[in-house]
Amino acid sequence: MPTWNDSAPIYQQLADRLAVQLLDGSPPEGDALPSVRQLASTYLINPLTVSRALQALVDNGLIESRRGMGMYVTAGARLRLLHSEREQFLQKEWPTLRAKLQRLGLGANDLKWEQNQ
Amino acid sequence: MSTTATANLIEAKDLTLRYGRSKVALERASFSIPKGRVVGLLGHNGAGKTSLMKALVGLLPGEGELSVLGLDPRRQRGALLEQLCYIPDVAVLPRWAKVSELMTLMSGLQPRFSAQRARDLLKRTSVAEGDRVKNLSKGMVVQVHLALIAAIDARLMILDEPTLGLDVISRKGFYEMLIDEWCDGERSVLISTHQVEEVESLLSDVMMLDEGRLVLNISLEDIDQRFTALSHDATLADEFAAAHPLLRYRQSGGRSAVIFDGAPPAALAGMGERIRPSLVDLFMALTRNPALHSKSA
Repeated sequence: MPTWNDSAPIYQQLADRLAVQLLDGSPPEGDALPSVRQLASTYLINPLTVSRALQALVDNGLIESRRGMGMYVTAGARLRLLHSEREQFLQKEWPTLRAKLQRLGLGANDLKWEQNQ
Repeated sequence: MSTTATANLIEAKDLTLRYGRSKVALERASFSIPKGRVVGLLGHNGAGKTSLMKALVGLLPGEGELSVLGLDPRRQRGALLEQLCYIPDVAVLPRWAKVSELMTLMSGLQPRFSAQRARDLLKRTSVAEGDRVKNLSKGMVVQVHLALIAAIDARLMILDEPTLGLDVISRKGFYEMLIDEWCDGERSVLISTHQVEEVESLLSDVMMLDEGRLVLNISLEDIDQRFTALSHDATLADEFAAAHPLLRYRQSGGRSAVIFDGAPPAALAGMGERIRPSLVDLFMALTRNPALHSKSA
């Protein structure tokens, strides 16, 4: 069964998961998202909670409602998402990571950046 | 009265239920269940869950006001049972029967039963119409039961511990059927269970019973607004305890957490990290487990 942690409300965690998928191009810009019922079934979540998650993505300008047709990925959604995810990483995760790298004495040359590409 | 009946599928006001002369199973409970909801009924054994569900289907008389689908469950039980689906906690299917025979039986008993719909629902399971109940696993029997019951064209389903004794695969199949085949925004379901963590994401609302009292009746959305959970370093335990939170508990990874009903004291807000108050933690905070308290009583 899908698991949800206690870091944030469940609708927020679903919105985050869907945002990660949008960032990976699934679905691509201009395409439709799965319906509320499909998402509820996939993630075993109450449809009202799914609707809240979608509304959170609408509020962030990542998807839009087309009357009678469901939710669609907005033009430029991926770039907007990439921008905010980068900001988030630089402000929240990077300071911790940098401190750890410094503590371990790891520099850019040790990280073998290109290896897994 | 007819206007409230159309707005809410269930309406209870000061509902009190008694067993025998003195034992109170439910004390002055007031609540309503609108359409399109999945309501979890949580409580320890003996908290009053089964009594409440029995009263809703007219099997237990009560004091106070109770309206289900706009009907009085005691006086209009026949009409009510045609319009709702109910699986009691003691439900059994006859072991000798074939699934197809149960469908014939249902067609004769229930005017709103659709055999075609039952067949469609059964296709989700590994059960065939020719199978006999006695040859099915416990999980399969529950799925057959749900398929038969969900094939009734009704607006309200009442399930008393439907997943009791099922393994995790069967429970998942059950939840999937519930979400896919029952939740359409119009119909509601009231479901009692001890699998609090598993059902949390399925629910739109939760009702908690503690020794016959309805101690919480809230939507999952409002839980995030009303309750505050703060994760904090274990060394700050004394400061947080002094603020009398609803519950203190240990998290995995050596940190501690507290739940406040409402906003935490301003001094503490900055000392902890806000997390999601989970249903199981709220359940622990708001109900007493009689099995744990009986020794000291």
